[in-house]
Amino acid sequence: MTPPLVGKLNELVSQQKWEPAIELLQGLSASDAADLIMAMRFEEQQVLFRRLPIPLAASIVNHLPYFHAYVLLHARSLHEMAAIVEAMTQAERDHFLDALPEEAWNSLMDELAEAGSTAAPHSVQSSEAGQEKETAARITSDDKPIIEARGISKSFAQKDGSEIQVIAPVDLSVEPNTIIALLGPSGSGKSTLLRMLTGLAAPTSGEVLWHGAPVGACSPNVAIVFQSFALFPWLTVLENVESPLLARGMEHEERHSKALKAIDAVGLKNFETAYPKELSGGMKQRVGFARALAVEPEVLFMDEPFSALDVLTAENLRGDLMDLWLAKKIPTRSIFIVTHNIEEAVLLADRVIVLGRNPARIRADFRIALPQPRDRKSAAFFPYVDYIYKVMTKPELTLAPPSATAKQPTPLLPHARPGGVAGLLELLIDRGGEEDLYHVAETLLLEVDDLLPILDAATMLGFAAAHEGDVKITPQGRAFAEADISSRRRLFREALTHVPLMQQIVLALESKSDHTMPLEFFRDLLDERLPAHDVEQQIETALNWGRYADIFTYDSESDRLRLIQPGETANSREPARLH
Amino acid sequence: MAHNKTSARVLTWGTIPKTVPSILQDLPVICAGLALFYALLSLTHYWMAPASSQTVIDLQVSALPKYAMFSVLRIAIAYVFSLLFTLVYGYIAAYNAKAEKFLIPLLDTLQSIPVLSFLPGVMLAMVALFPTRQLGVELGSILLIFTGQVWNMTFSFYSSLKSIPREMREVAEIYRWSWWQRFTQMELPYAAIGLVWNSMMSVAGGWFFLMACEMFVLGNRDLRLPGLGSYLQTAANAGDMRAIASGLGVMIGIIVLIDQLIWRPVIAWTEKFKFEQVESVDTPHSFVLDLLRRSRVLPFVARISLIPAREYLSLYFAKRRAASVAEQNTSVVGIWISRLLSGAILVGVAYAFMKMSILLSGLTKTEVRGIFVGAGATFLRVALTLVLAGMWTIPVGIMVGLKPKLSAIVQPVAQIAASVPATALFPIILLVLIRVGGGLGIGSIVLLLLGTQWYILFNVIAGAMAIPTDLKEVCNVFRFDKLERWRELYLPGIFPYLITGFVTASGGAWNASIIAEYFRFKGQTYTVTGLGSVISSAADSGNSRVLIGATILMAAMVVTINRLLWRRLYALAATKFKLET
Repeated sequence: MTPPLVGKLNELVSQQKWEPAIELLQGLSASDAADLIMAMRFEEQQVLFRRLPIPLAASIVNHLPYFHAYVLLHARSLHEMAAIVEAMTQAERDHFLDALPEEAWNSLMDELAEAGSTAAPHSVQSSEAGQEKETAARITSDDKPIIEARGISKSFAQKDGSEIQVIAPVDLSVEPNTIIALLGPSGSGKSTLLRMLTGLAAPTSGEVLWHGAPVGACSPNVAIVFQSFALFPWLTVLENVESPLLARGMEHEERHSKALKAIDAVGLKNFETAYPKELSGGMKQRVGFARALAVEPEVLFMDEPFSALDVLTAENLRGDLMDLWLAKKIPTRSIFIVTHNIEEAVLLADRVIVLGRNPARIRADFRIALPQPRDRKSAAFFPYVDYIYKVMTKPELTLAPPSATAKQPTPLLPHARPGGVAGLLELLIDRGGEEDLYHVAETLLLEVDDLLPILDAATMLGFAAAHEGDVKITPQGRAFAEADISSRRRLFREALTHVPLMQQIVLALESKSDHTMPLEFFRDLLDERLPAHDVEQQIETALNWGRYADIFTYDSESDRLRLIQPGETANSREPARLH
Repeated sequence: MAHNKTSARVLTWGTIPKTVPSILQDLPVICAGLALFYALLSLTHYWMAPASSQTVIDLQVSALPKYAMFSVLRIAIAYVFSLLFTLVYGYIAAYNAKAEKFLIPLLDTLQSIPVLSFLPGVMLAMVALFPTRQLGVELGSILLIFTGQVWNMTFSFYSSLKSIPREMREVAEIYRWSWWQRFTQMELPYAAIGLVWNSMMSVAGGWFFLMACEMFVLGNRDLRLPGLGSYLQTAANAGDMRAIASGLGVMIGIIVLIDQLIWRPVIAWTEKFKFEQVESVDTPHSFVLDLLRRSRVLPFVARISLIPAREYLSLYFAKRRAASVAEQNTSVVGIWISRLLSGAILVGVAYAFMKMSILLSGLTKTEVRGIFVGAGATFLRVALTLVLAGMWTIPVGIMVGLKPKLSAIVQPVAQIAASVPATALFPIILLVLIRVGGGLGIGSIVLLLLGTQWYILFNVIAGAMAIPTDLKEVCNVFRFDKLERWRELYLPGIFPYLITGFVTASGGAWNASIIAEYFRFKGQTYTVTGLGSVISSAADSGNSRVLIGATILMAAMVVTINRLLWRRLYALAATKFKLET
């Protein structure tokens, strides 16, 4: 987007010159106008959008991200909203409504119906205006980023001397007064990115600036809350919280009172003399928070802080953290949270960044324009969750340019078990063959981290297809799910003919006269292009799938794979011990 | 904390129950302090005395307390040296990637060199440093004890440092801890438990080699230092059974006392450094620690000395660290210093290597043959010892370990038995063997067995205790017979523990061979063919080329066996035979 135009529009809006602003937008194509609006701060977008004439708003809406459009529409009265939806062309309206997830769609339909009978513009308007004032106050101070990362990437050296890039060059900035959530599948390098921003890890290329100075030179005031709490078991709660203050050379008295204040703030009063092992998981993480808050960090980093806790404890702790943040009881200017929990991100963050993997790059970076505190059952909540699922399940949604490395690697096996795939397919049949992904995750009580590999596996095998955050079962998938165990093995074997790595293994085994091959051979093959951890996962999954499909057997004593000949079944060669 | 209010364990330094009369409580603590002071005073007095060429060891029982005190102090000082060395060496090896590549293999090699091989070098250097004072020989003896104690402690500290969890290190880094804070709040506590257990083993090793370290021949000089080791050795030479028995009694008494007064409390105290997320139910307990914790004197002393000192040091290093972040230079000088240093080391090593090659080229054919034949004999002897040890410890250990009640009785008894240094018993064993017609041939194996079987026994008991109950229940449900139980569950279940025991036992056996194969008794020197006796006699006769040649061969064999056999078995134990909980 052209910066001069953005600047001009911002200026007009800030001076409340609505007519020239609207004129400016009208002079552009609808998609350019939408882009221009998206480049503004959300609060100003809201103000401007409220002034837009209905036809202009209607033409622009469909060019905005649907989740964002949903929130902007609700900035206007029910009546006006209905009018805007009405003014969209048939195709545009269908497109917009189709994109909405079930809950948001239902809610919107109800609202439109209500607007048709009794419009109550004023009450809605006033509550929204109050909301706007509060959020706007938060953002106004100064928008100069605290942290700026310019083209940071990370590569790790392999045993053979080659390098594997785990994070592609990334630009990222952390502005004040925001909670940024970094989402991504497991192994996508989220934690590495966090550590590069804090200065704990040095990027392979690029630089991280804190207030314009390189991170290594300015010793920034940061704190990290860790997934594993990282408390020192031999120090009491008080000593743990005091430890960073001691490192600053703070005298005993001051150290003591600051630490006690932090402990009090997280609700651990009277536990100062306890050792961490006497505390429950949630209380341990409270100590982790107290230690982080005691140093009054400018940016508070959190690396999956709630992942090691049970659902209720996590919810409780999240709530307490947000209370501290919203009431400005902590001097922290920004929070950067790494998570793999999509709902958590939408619940907490002002801005969400979604990472892809192999190597990691930013696939989406957008604001969440919902007021705090948020309700995870509200209709506007779902489009965001739905959108993130869409981003994470659609490889072609990549925003960054494709990587410079020319060689196109064979796709990796998703780390999933055949049983998991069957479970997913059975659920889909139960739900009539198609379902929103976040519903699937909810029903199966799976985190996106666990769900995505299963979904990828089902897609790779041709049993299911993901589309726009939905997943749909294929005829092959239906046949697989409805078959008995031995037919499932056969169908799985047939499906594996689409999987390159499995085919490589089969071909290699077939080429040997004795049809056996050391597993080490395949491990070496993968070693050349994958980090060690991934190699192990690939091998484990390949063994799992191959054994399930009766393609080969594996003997761990000799570390050899053996192809099962047609006509021979795995069972016939097992010792008949159990009879 | 609430679940255990009655136990003294949860009392902190500051809380004192009002009901206990505190003077009585503190009496032992005060007495111990005074005794230590007196001991140090008399030791320095003796050290500064002119060197006497021939110390006469008094075999009167009344001389024993003084000798015992000298030996205890010698071991204690050697231990302090070991600890300091461990901290410095371990630290450098863990944090300097370049130095690590060279320090760790070096440590591996040093560990496999028997104590006596260090003797001539260490002694000559120390006597040359202090030619006129007793101090020279004394320091030499302490250094010898040191070489027997230090290596496993260093390994333990190094591997602890290496295994500190990444996130813990990141806490220290993100909050910019000073090195002092890192050391006292993270590294030392994390390494504490491993360090304490290895310290116990090291000190036990010190007792084992005490006789060799306090009395030896150096060229034409017959050096002996007043101490328990030389007392026992002299008594053995003279065949004085009464003196042997009383010396042995005192030694066992001291070992038990040290165990109760030092190791038990320290182990119970280090419990708080356990890296665990939940409190374990069954924790070690020590009466002495409870006593110390109830003391009023100690918290007072701590309040006026330790706590302010700790505070001062922490703040001092924190401020220095903050200042150094601001400056960030001196690196160029540092690089040059380290370059010069490594250059000097390289030159030194090359020179020593050249000298050694020249010395070794002087070896005669018979000497070379003697070394190799000896190596073969000792190899067989060690192997036989391990087989014999395994044959009785595996069944007994499993049986004891499977019955918690039995192991509660057997373990403390076995621990006391294990703490008695086999070398001290050796004269008695030899005497019996000579009477029934056996000689050092059997005696050496018995000695090796006595010295090494405990490692295996304790590990097997621990392994058998760790076998999960559900697996035992499976055996019951499917009515496995005895043979099946052993083959399918017990033996695979204890395998990782067994390997750990064997590795320690094997290393110990090689080292102990220098004493087991060469023994002076009743004015006579008994020897059997073996690498240990080659080394011992070469040390006695001052034949340094044979000494070096035999030492190199022994180190090479031990390192090779470790790499080729034990490491592979370890890997197998860690993968296939690991019982995951």
